[in-house]
Amino acid sequence: MFKKVLIANRGEIAIRVAKACKELGISTVGVYSTIDKKSLHLRFMDEIIWIGDSPAISSYLNIEAILDAVRKTHSEAIHPGYGFLAENQLFAKACEDAEIIFIGPSSKTLNLVADKVASRITVKKVGVPIIPGMEMTCTDLIKFKQAAKEVGYPVMIKASMGGGGKGMRVVYNEKDLEKSIAISQREALSSFGDDSIYLEKYIEEPRHIEFQVLRDNFGNCIHLFERECSIQRRHQKIIEETPSPALNDEIRTKMGESAKKVIEASEYTTAGTVEFLLDKNKKFYFLEVNARIQVEHPITEMVTGVDLVRQQILIAAGEKLHLSQEQIKQNGHAIETRIYAEDPDNNFVPSPGKILYLSEPQGPGIRIDSGIFQGWNVPPNYDPILSKLIVWSENRDMTIKRILETLKEYIILGIKTNIGYLSRIINNESFIKGNFDTHFIDNNEEILLPQHNNLDLALIAAAFNKKYGIKKKQVSQLIRYSQKTTPWQEIGKWKICNH
Amino acid sequence: MEYKFNFLEKTHKINLEKADDLFKVIINDKQEYNISDVEVESNLITFKADNKLHNIYFYSNKDITYLSIDGENYTLEFEKDISTKSKSGKQQKGNSVFSPMPGLLVKVSVSVGDKVKSGDTLAIVEAMKMQNELPSPRDGTIKKINGKEGEQVDALQVIVELE
Repeated sequence: MFKKVLIANRGEIAIRVAKACKELGISTVGVYSTIDKKSLHLRFMDEIIWIGDSPAISSYLNIEAILDAVRKTHSEAIHPGYGFLAENQLFAKACEDAEIIFIGPSSKTLNLVADKVASRITVKKVGVPIIPGMEMTCTDLIKFKQAAKEVGYPVMIKASMGGGGKGMRVVYNEKDLEKSIAISQREALSSFGDDSIYLEKYIEEPRHIEFQVLRDNFGNCIHLFERECSIQRRHQKIIEETPSPALNDEIRTKMGESAKKVIEASEYTTAGTVEFLLDKNKKFYFLEVNARIQVEHPITEMVTGVDLVRQQILIAAGEKLHLSQEQIKQNGHAIETRIYAEDPDNNFVPSPGKILYLSEPQGPGIRIDSGIFQGWNVPPNYDPILSKLIVWSENRDMTIKRILETLKEYIILGIKTNIGYLSRIINNESFIKGNFDTHFIDNNEEILLPQHNNLDLALIAAAFNKKYGIKKKQVSQLIRYSQKTTPWQEIGKWKICNH
Repeated sequence: MEYKFNFLEKTHKINLEKADDLFKVIINDKQEYNISDVEVESNLITFKADNKLHNIYFYSNKDITYLSIDGENYTLEFEKDISTKSKSGKQQKGNSVFSPMPGLLVKVSVSVGDKVKSGDTLAIVEAMKMQNELPSPRDGTIKKINGKEGEQVDALQVIVELE
């Protein structure tokens, strides 16, 4: 096993990884940028090292600075978390060249799964369904027209090295094709430095369902069932759950086996995720491999009882996978909500700033993976994720009820958050029925906006606080008083009884 | 006793009238509530409104009260004097275009002297992986630009001024 691992990330995921390391007896090295000097993740590390200025490009995305930190601290391995350098093949290659273990798949595999068209070809060979469309990139308008005619409109143009919705374009008829190709190419070039694009059939009303997989260096491979990730805003997942209300056991088994085939064909090792689209006729298609531990991994941990980060580290350290497919069962239901620093009253603009008050919910089946504390200044430099609230209960209905109550108890004051927005999504009739696709947020945009139903109560509370609230001066007097004496001292002399 | 609070660019008036052992509360001269059993702790206020019990978490400083009710946050600005201009109610109109959030000025799309139309993108500010386009509030000519691409800007900092 490793003696020391450097965690090349920040926030809640750095803490999650540090905890897994400590449980395995591994000492942890935390990294930070200038603005993160006081961030929560550093409190969970055995050593900390500054890696650069606040912009991510100078710190968490700075390959040289991170490798330098590894050498200075004599770490044996790097855990990249998610985001930043997690799926960067140059980084993985640099680690391999420097004989540092990158806790993730090989650079060769990263290279393959980043290339959508190459992945499509690989996956098709092993008999996993792909979305009908082109199996090469090209720039020839005639070929695009031909492919579009073959699969039928509407079609989707995609960037081969793409992600996050950039370079993606739906085309409804032939006359818009040429223009859309040009726009996609431009976007792909500016976002990914590569203008290769291809075309596939546009799947209407799709659900986004992914399978968690673990595979060791000896070819042992299991899947840990699905995560339903159809609730997305601007191509970012915000609520995930497992099991998916859309799958029955037959499709679930087929998709699980397909996910394993994809992972095997890509020679993928450690923890990974295979994403699928499920159309309204319950046909599924391979979408892509996410080569990292994912934000939403905790819901899988809640229903399977497997610690995915621990397994990921064990496999990277060269251990054999000791779990068999038969051992993995889905027990109960889990939902994750991502808590973001953003303002639903103001078109979701990011809301960095100081957290003036924080109270986190507790209780049975409640897990919070958090990167924040009261008094902390949420910096404007990085992703707006503050924490994740994960709730488990025996079945979907009870989990929905439990998470709705729990969200009410999650108090973050001083900055704006999406907590109320998440409640409204989960309280929506279609969500409760399990009847939704990836367009859910767009289709319900209006009714999900804040209604301010409790404004009167807020005004009443604020007014009475003005009238009766403890003034700053009084508070400090109270503290002084309580420090001077305790009830025990007030009783007078006392001694311990002998009986 | 009367208090005024601003919420999302609107001012709300609230009157507290003592009546025996409860308060009659009137909001915006319309909505009436009977409030009793008020307890104020440092971050929690408890009261009964028409006999229903409420526990509300809040944080307050001199000017602003932050509250959380059923997962929804409310930021109320205490209005001492109506003539004082509300800062959070500042709007993208008139001559100044400001950043709604602290972040990085990634792009300035105009130069001094440029003629712009209402809605034209003047600059782009990025925070937390989100880009925010700052549109021109009206037709006009660019008078001044405060800031360079790549510079950090504060919330409500004026980026572009129109003539």
